[in-house]
Amino acid sequence: MSKTALVTGASRGIGFETTRRFILNHDDITTVVMFARDSEDFDNNVKELEKELPIGRKLVPYKVDVGDRSALKKAVKRAYDEVGNIDILVNNAGYTNPVPLQQVKMADFEKTMEVNVYAPFTIIKALLNRGNTFDLIVNIASTAGINGRSGWLTYSASKAAVINMSQVMREELSIYGTRVVCLSPGRTATALRKTLAPDEDPTTIMQPEHVAQVISTLSSSVGKFIDSENIVVRQ
Amino acid sequence: MYSLILLNGGIGSRTGASQPKQLLKLRGIPILVYALVTADRVEQISQIVVNYPPQWREQIEEVLEAYAISTPVTLVEAGDSRHSSVAAMLPHCTNDDVIIHESARPLVRESDFRGLIESKHKNVSLMSEISFTVAPVDPETSEVTGSLDRDRLRNVQLPQKFSKSDLEASHERAVNEGIEFTEDATLVADSGFPVHFIDGSDENFKVTTSTDLKMAGFLLRPEEDDDE
Repeated sequence: MSKTALVTGASRGIGFETTRRFILNHDDITTVVMFARDSEDFDNNVKELEKELPIGRKLVPYKVDVGDRSALKKAVKRAYDEVGNIDILVNNAGYTNPVPLQQVKMADFEKTMEVNVYAPFTIIKALLNRGNTFDLIVNIASTAGINGRSGWLTYSASKAAVINMSQVMREELSIYGTRVVCLSPGRTATALRKTLAPDEDPTTIMQPEHVAQVISTLSSSVGKFIDSENIVVRQ
Repeated sequence: MYSLILLNGGIGSRTGASQPKQLLKLRGIPILVYALVTADRVEQISQIVVNYPPQWREQIEEVLEAYAISTPVTLVEAGDSRHSSVAAMLPHCTNDDVIIHESARPLVRESDFRGLIESKHKNVSLMSEISFTVAPVDPETSEVTGSLDRDRLRNVQLPQKFSKSDLEASHERAVNEGIEFTEDATLVADSGFPVHFIDGSDENFKVTTSTDLKMAGFLLRPEEDDDE
């Protein structure tokens, strides 16, 4: 069976490691569409990964800022026209700028919601409206969305919204047989974590490939037996 | 291939709501969507003819667009009765075989449609056994006039499939004789065409009252609610 996956925030961290696992080690996935902002990391990582690609497997990179709704909609349309049905979607792209409540700039709060909440919603809605049928949607939330963290108001609020939104999607999309899983990683050595905890030694915490391994298992044939409204992955 | 006649023209007077019941929300989703999405997965259904209550075309079109139903849909305004609606929808069917369903039965399964299609007979209805006793009566005198063997009776359900020509001939006869039926399996059988039945599920009930709506919502709840 030949499946297509779309991963956002695919240039590095959890998104890139998920892409790597999907395209190199997954039994069914033969195409991975990668959404990420234009960056050197993105170009280099795609180039490196392409060298390892097995025959018949394909990466389809799109340079798009998921926080730019109009550009995102266009990219979704182009990707759908190019590769057809997206079977597995991993909404991984995230943004944060942790500041105390009194210093939160409204525009920054809006950007956080745009990337973390509205972008996954926009991708899913745009594809559903085109007649796309998903097998699996994985929304990456955070343990900070389960309990708010001092100093991380905008991030915590956005991730709480992702957890709740996933519960609704899980019910509403059951008419198509779509599984919707919300995954809340704890401390993971990503660029975003570096923004949240700049002084932490990244080698002491969970690595992106660990989370990617969990996502890959969720999308495998046994994935349907791992069922929870919000799966917490932590060290 | 089959044309699906999806009866969707009721105004829902018995649910007591301010809008037709097919637009009421069942677990947050318009009732109409359940049958549409299920039928859309059946590849032998190549056309869906949907009727709509007068004044509600726009809302029905919005639902069809939002849910990206891929099977081509033909919209027809509803008639005064179910019988006249079917008669008005039939000429729009482009296939020689038709399936009739109603959006007020949201718990229809893909296998219900497939069971009809796979049946070797050309006119077939889903029907379920009657689990209670019915008695013939004279309503004028309130007298019980005999007994009925419930093994020889069935609860008529939808969906049903028909040869378009048999259904057309039956409706033509009904018009000529000035008679009206509340559903089509008995109309076609009464008109002299063979009609068979296959067993349906009691979960595929018609949502008519607000209590039915609650029951349907209960049956559609996530399965993990039953977990230990």
